[in-house]
Amino acid sequence: MQDDYDRFVADRLDRLLRYATAMTCDRHLAQDIVQNVLLRAQPRWGRIAAMDAPYLYVKRMVTNEYLSWWGRRAARDISLSHSTLATLAPAVTDHAAQHAERDAMRGRIAVLPRKQRAALVLRYYEDSTDAEIAKVLGCSEGTVRSHISRALTTLRANELAPVEVL
Amino acid sequence: MTDNEMLIRQAIAAEANEAVDPRAVMAELQKGKPRKKKWPLALVAAGVVAAAVAAVAVTVPHATPVTQPAAAQPATEQNILLVGVDDNQIADSVVLANVKPNGDTALVSLPRDIRIDGDTKLKQLLASGGMEKLTAAVTTLTGLHVDHYAVVTMKGMQALGNAVGGVEVCLKAAVMDSFSGADFPAGRQMLSGDQALAFVRQRHGLPNGDLDRVVRQQAFLKGIAKKALTKPARLPEVIDLVQKNVRVDAGWDMLEFAKRFTASPAVRAATIPVGATHEGPTGSGLDVDPQAVREFARTFTSSAAPTGSGTPAPGDGCIN
Repeated sequence: MQDDYDRFVADRLDRLLRYATAMTCDRHLAQDIVQNVLLRAQPRWGRIAAMDAPYLYVKRMVTNEYLSWWGRRAARDISLSHSTLATLAPAVTDHAAQHAERDAMRGRIAVLPRKQRAALVLRYYEDSTDAEIAKVLGCSEGTVRSHISRALTTLRANELAPVEVL
Repeated sequence: MTDNEMLIRQAIAAEANEAVDPRAVMAELQKGKPRKKKWPLALVAAGVVAAAVAAVAVTVPHATPVTQPAAAQPATEQNILLVGVDDNQIADSVVLANVKPNGDTALVSLPRDIRIDGDTKLKQLLASGGMEKLTAAVTTLTGLHVDHYAVVTMKGMQALGNAVGGVEVCLKAAVMDSFSGADFPAGRQMLSGDQALAFVRQRHGLPNGDLDRVVRQQAFLKGIAKKALTKPARLPEVIDLVQKNVRVDAGWDMLEFAKRFTASPAVRAATIPVGATHEGPTGSGLDVDPQAVREFARTFTSSAAPTGSGTPAPGDGCIN
């Protein structure tokens, strides 16, 4: 049992941290969440391991921990700092142009509503199907598609009205 | 894959690359101690305002010896709308309490996903139209006039559960649900306020989803009312919490109202009959037969209550 848990952690910790970081846009918050979730999962690992997809379940715990997170103000602070970063994006040299475009996109993604961002990360980082995303987010596939299409619309609209350049 | 999607992919990958070094996390995990929590775990969804008001209603007379002459005007039957809300003013729990002059109470739960008109659900009315709209919808739905209302937040409910020192419930089967943090064995058990919150919030993984949650809220409410009666030492704390966490309509004299409660009012609870689940653009909603609901509300609130409080429910009283 303990071995199985250790193996899971060894195999998946890196991936979970990356996933949580992409979703939260805050590496320290991501660390807190992943760490707490894994610690909570340990004593009941027998039951989790017996499931069809333990990784999916743990990912759901991580996602839910973030989505239900009480610190709304802090979340806004994070978003703000990101959009500020995007606005203050480095002076655009030829070489940096691509990076600037990407970082601007990062800034725009960071200010999306949390559920939309989670859906986006699941699709474009975890390459999950709508059905898998629905399971992780605990909603219907229709809702998943609507989250993603709204996110894409926002990101496209923002593209047309680029963040102010200083 | 469009260019935009490609850019999104790259941006997300870049964000993911910011992740901390897993070795550091591994070391923390091996120490086995959770990092200090920066936030109270998930206070978001689901509520049981009923608990608060039932508790105050049941307890106030004991805590505050009646200071005024008892000769008040004869009390009449009153309908109190109890609403539990989350942070976004989404009503997670809507209960209409019919309180007789002698304190006997019938609680009629209205599932939050009932569709009111088109795709609007009961739970959304408070945020979109305030108490006025919610009250009107409940009256239309049940045919019962709403005399007063009370709104409580989840945090208040949790605090209340803690203040009375836990609530006893009985579960038919063990449950584990990461959404609400619910992780309970089967059987009879005592829940702390924190656990109670998970207990009344859980909806995923239950055979009947939100409908089972409603039953849990009723069980919690009954448990807290019972507990409040048997732990008089905690009453001042309970009342203080109720005053801090419950919002009531301006015209409601709660102390006067509370006088109608005897030491052991009978509390009954039921859920209105609901029809099929209906998938719409805003997720699944519940259809109801207006006539059946009105008939049920009328009968349930008028039928004679069983005598005495804490009467065990038929069977073992265990729920999903």
